[in-house]
Amino acid sequence: MSDIAVRCEHAGKKFCKSLKKSMLYGGLDIFGSVFGAVPDSTILRPEEFWAVDEVSFELKRGESFGIIGPNGSGKSTLLKMLNGIFMPDKGRITVNGKMGALIQVGAGFHPMLSGRENIYINGAILGMTKKELDRKFDSIVDFADISDFLDSPVKFYSSGMYVRLGFAIAVHCEPDILLIDEILAVGDKAFQIKCYQRMHEIKKKGTTIILVSHNEYVVREHTGRCLYLNHGKQRSMGPSEETINVYIKDVYEQRSQQRTVNNSQDPNKQKYAEIIGLKFCNVQGRETSFIESGAALDVFIEFMVHEDMDKPILGVNFYADDGALVYGANSHYEQFEVKEFLRGPHSVKIHIPHFYLPTNDYLCSVVVAQENVGNLIDWHDSRYKLVVGRAPNARGLLKLPTQWEILK
Amino acid sequence: MNDHTHIYEPHKQLKLGMKIWAEMFRELFQFRELIWRLFIRDLSAKYKQSVLGNLWSLVMPFVAIGTFMYLNHAGILDIGQTQMPYPLYALIGLSVWQVFATGLSSGANSLVGAGDLITKISFPREVLVIASMAQSVFEFLIKFVLIIVFFLVFQFSPSWNIVFLPLVLVPLVFLTVGLALILALLNGVMRDIGNIVSLLLMFLMFLTPVLYPIPGKGLLFFELNFLSPLVNAPRDLIAFGHIQQPGHFMMAAGISLLIFLVSWRIFHLAETKIPERM
Repeated sequence: MSDIAVRCEHAGKKFCKSLKKSMLYGGLDIFGSVFGAVPDSTILRPEEFWAVDEVSFELKRGESFGIIGPNGSGKSTLLKMLNGIFMPDKGRITVNGKMGALIQVGAGFHPMLSGRENIYINGAILGMTKKELDRKFDSIVDFADISDFLDSPVKFYSSGMYVRLGFAIAVHCEPDILLIDEILAVGDKAFQIKCYQRMHEIKKKGTTIILVSHNEYVVREHTGRCLYLNHGKQRSMGPSEETINVYIKDVYEQRSQQRTVNNSQDPNKQKYAEIIGLKFCNVQGRETSFIESGAALDVFIEFMVHEDMDKPILGVNFYADDGALVYGANSHYEQFEVKEFLRGPHSVKIHIPHFYLPTNDYLCSVVVAQENVGNLIDWHDSRYKLVVGRAPNARGLLKLPTQWEILK
Repeated sequence: MNDHTHIYEPHKQLKLGMKIWAEMFRELFQFRELIWRLFIRDLSAKYKQSVLGNLWSLVMPFVAIGTFMYLNHAGILDIGQTQMPYPLYALIGLSVWQVFATGLSSGANSLVGAGDLITKISFPREVLVIASMAQSVFEFLIKFVLIIVFFLVFQFSPSWNIVFLPLVLVPLVFLTVGLALILALLNGVMRDIGNIVSLLLMFLMFLTPVLYPIPGKGLLFFELNFLSPLVNAPRDLIAFGHIQQPGHFMMAAGISLLIFLVSWRIFHLAETKIPERM
C-alpha cells in the first residue's frame, strides 16, 4: 500500500437550491446514467451551486488533518465525499485503506432494540463481522459505560448514553482512516476527554484522522495540518495554527464590516470615543489568535477619541465557550489611572507575562468607559477570538509555575 | 468499507464497463453479514412492538379467503373447480402472492425508510432492499406452518415434490427484488412511488389468478401476465407434483431473472445519486 492515505484532486460537489429542480435533475441524471446519455456533471444548471469546489489535498498515512470553516461552508459535504456517500461531480478522490466514519453517531440504531442488539447491528453497518464484535463486545460496553442498560431499548437511553455507545462502536472498528464530524460536542466533559484520549491512541497506532470541528482549540490540539473552507472553496491550507489564524481573522473582518454598516445607519449616535480594534501578539511580537497557556501575551486596544475625555477606563474580558467570564483585565480595578485622553488615535498595551487561562476558545470583549465602570462610551461585545492551546508538557488544561523542594 | 483502494469520481460506474458485475457481486458478498443483521433487526423490532407479533401476517389471508368464500357461497362470484379444497387453494395462492406483494412494497420503501443510514453511512444500498425481501420470505415461512395445518384440517395429502417448493419460488423472489430495486430508487426521488405501488398491488392481485383458478378462455391479459405462472407453479407442485404450464413458467422465470439483473445494474449506477436527494 502506498503511504498516501487520502488524495483529493480538484474535487467538487454541486447541490440544487430548489426542491422541484432537484427532483427533476435527480430523475434526469439517473435516466441519463442508465441510457448512457451522461450529462456533463461539471456544468451548473439553473439553481445549482458548488457546495464544495476545487478542493485538493493529500494526506499521508498517520497524518491528522482538520477541516474548519463557517456553517454551510461545505465541511460535512466534503467529509461525505471522502466517505463515498456523495460522489464528486468533478475531480477525483482516492482513498487507500479501510475507512471508518463518525458522521453521525448512532445512525442506524433501532430505538426499540436493546443496546446489546444495536451493538451488533451498528457494528455490521460499520463493516465488522460477528466474530470481531464478539471479541470486542466487552471493551465496547466498557468504553460506552452503559453496562446497566445493556438490555434496555436504546430509546430509553439518555442522549449522552446514545452518543457514548455510538462512539464506542465506531472507534472499535479500527479503521485506517477515521473521519470525525463535530460529534463530540455532545456528551459531557468527562466523556469528551475520554474520546479525545482514544483518538490520540488511535492516532499513535498510525490511523489517519480527518476531523471537522467548530472548536478551533480542538482542531489545533489534534491536527497537524488544516484546511479552511469558505463557501465550498479552499480558502487556506497549511499548519493548523496558521490556518486557524486566517480563519479567525476572516471571521473578525466579516463581523466588523457588519458593525460598520450597522453603525453608519445610526447617525444620531455621537460617541466621545470609538474602539477601532483589539489585537493579540505573542512573545515574538507577532500578531496571532493563538497562544499556548502560560505564555506571554500582549493585548493591544486601539481606539479613536473624538472629544477629549478624562478619567477613562479600559477593559478586556475573556469569555469561555459556554459564556462564562473567565478573566477580565480592567484598568480601573488594576489602578492604572489615566488623567485624560486627548482627541486623536490611541493605542494601549496590556502586557500579561503569563497567560494562565486553561486551554479553550475564548471570545473577547473590549470596553471603553468613563469615570466609573458602568458609564460605557463604546464597547465591542465578544467580537474577538483567542485560542489558548496546551502548553508543552502540560498535564491537563493548563500549566502553573511550581517550585519543588525536598524537605526530608 | 474494505481494505482496497477506493476511487471516487464522476461517472466512475460507467467507466468500469463490464467489470462492474464483478464489483457488484463482491460488494454484496462482503456485506452479507449486514443483510443478515438488518433482517434480524427488523424482525425483532417488529416482534417487540406488537402483542401478536408475526401472527399479524396470518390475519390478512384469513380475511381475504373468508371474503372470497362468502362471495362464492352467496353466488356473487363463481370461482369454479379448484384442484384442492378452496380455502387451501386460496391460502397457498395468497401466501405466494404476498411474497411478491410485501417484498415489493417494503422494498420500495426501504431506502426512504432508512433515513440516517442512507445519508450518514456508506454501504451498498441494495442491502436494504434485499433485507426487506428476506423479511417477506420469512413471513412466507410462518404462513407455511398454517398451510401444513390446513393440509391436516382438509385431509389433503400434498405431492412429495413439495420439497422443490423453494426452487419454484426463486424466480418470484428475483422478480420482486428486481422491481423493488427500481421502485426504491424512484421512491428516493419522488415519494409518490410508495403510494402508487400499494395501489397497483391491489389491482394486480385481483387480475392475477391468486384467489381463483386461471380462467379457461384465453384472455389476453392472463396470457401476458407472467406473474400468473409464477404464482400458480407452487400450487401445481403441491397438488399434482408438477407444473401445469412448464413453458409459461420457464419463460416467466427467464424474464424475472433478466429484470433482476437489469434492475440491479441500474440501481448500482444510480444509487450514488440517492443520498444527496434524501
